[in-house]
Amino acid sequence: MRRAEAWLFAPGDPRRLAVLRIGLCGLLAVRLATGPYAELASQPAALFRPISFLRVLERMPPRGLVVAVQALAVAAAVLAAAGLWARVTLPLAWAAALPLVAMTSSLGKVVHNDVLLLLCLVPLLPAPTSAVWAVRPGGRKAPPRTPPSPGVAFGWPVHTAMVVVAGAYFFSGLAKLLHAGPAWVTSGNLRWVLYASSDQQPAPNPYALFVADRPLLAHLLAAATLAVELGFPLVLWRPRLAWLFLPAAVALHAGIGLAMRLDYSVMAATAVLVMVDWPAVADRLQPAADTTQPTRKEPSR
Amino acid sequence: MQPAAPPQARAPRWARRFVAAYLAVFVLCGLAGFEAWPLTGWRLFADARQARQPGWQAVTVDRAGRETPVPFRELPAGHQGFVQVLRGFPELAADRQAAVCQAWAEAVRARGGEVAAVRLYQTETDVSHRVGRRGAPPTRVLRYTCHDGKVDAPS
Repeated sequence: MRRAEAWLFAPGDPRRLAVLRIGLCGLLAVRLATGPYAELASQPAALFRPISFLRVLERMPPRGLVVAVQALAVAAAVLAAAGLWARVTLPLAWAAALPLVAMTSSLGKVVHNDVLLLLCLVPLLPAPTSAVWAVRPGGRKAPPRTPPSPGVAFGWPVHTAMVVVAGAYFFSGLAKLLHAGPAWVTSGNLRWVLYASSDQQPAPNPYALFVADRPLLAHLLAAATLAVELGFPLVLWRPRLAWLFLPAAVALHAGIGLAMRLDYSVMAATAVLVMVDWPAVADRLQPAADTTQPTRKEPSR
Repeated sequence: MQPAAPPQARAPRWARRFVAAYLAVFVLCGLAGFEAWPLTGWRLFADARQARQPGWQAVTVDRAGRETPVPFRELPAGHQGFVQVLRGFPELAADRQAAVCQAWAEAVRARGGEVAAVRLYQTETDVSHRVGRRGAPPTRVLRYTCHDGKVDAPS
């Protein structure tokens, strides 16, 4: 427990936190700008299946309000991604996004695609995310100065988001074990899921049928899915395992997208943004090119 | 924007409490399967499906008595929760059931369809029974007929 706490609150690279701010807020801005919120606002009240705090409403919020909140949320997310007044704009973007995303989960089923993004942004809300790689008010770039050294203020938001990503996959696997048990792998479960999904699509899905027609392959993929989900937290213990688990998780989402036409792209992008040490990758790719940023690897545990 | 913390400083108490509280509720929801959105129990495809799968089918009926499946996937975004709405239909009060049928009928009429009634069938599909690249048609039983603002449930 002490080791875990020491890792969670270990000093971190301000650039990695800035990457999270830019990436996650950019992703949020795109998601909010393209979401069907205005269309959902015109949903007949009888079809409204509110989730969480939206239960206080009888129907979807009015269209005018939704469009206004959407505009505010997108603007705040863009400003936060740029690092402008991020102490205010990032929490504002998150708070404005919350009811909009809740609308998409108020059709009867929780949409998990956006949930991981929202949850990974939570530790960034009170954090000093714009210490580096931020535009200053007035459109000026940050004045040249010595970039902040790794510090505790930059570590825990990143590490907390990493725990959330690892936890999301682990709990997804755990839920399968708790609700279905070994039958999730050993029965025809995945085959029946894929056949049913293909049958509901306008045309037979070749990817779904390819797997469903091959029982052994279906069992192997089901076992691999469980292994990836339950094993994902190992990445926190051995960061190099990210090279195994992260591509596997992305492949899992891509496979679901191809075979079942279900969109988990935001969840996959969030996982990649959070789990990869992007400044370390950049340093490794350009060791001598950047003379203004000293090569700094985030301290390990 | 914010001054960097001294490299060796401990994280402030508020940060430690914030992280501890956040991760505690995150883990609690994950372990117990609670849905406190945006916190969630992460039930993604968690149930083991059987080959025989129960379901529902909604069709519109025109004045000539012809049935046409409600084209839910072509309807606006607010109608895309039809699977869950159909599943929960028997638990709805009669006036809510009529309102749901009315909403679907109006959406179909808005696309130029003729709707004299809406029928809801309970189905059972054996997805292991294949006919070419498609599943065999489900067996179905008529459960509800919605017309003129009323809902009939044949016994």
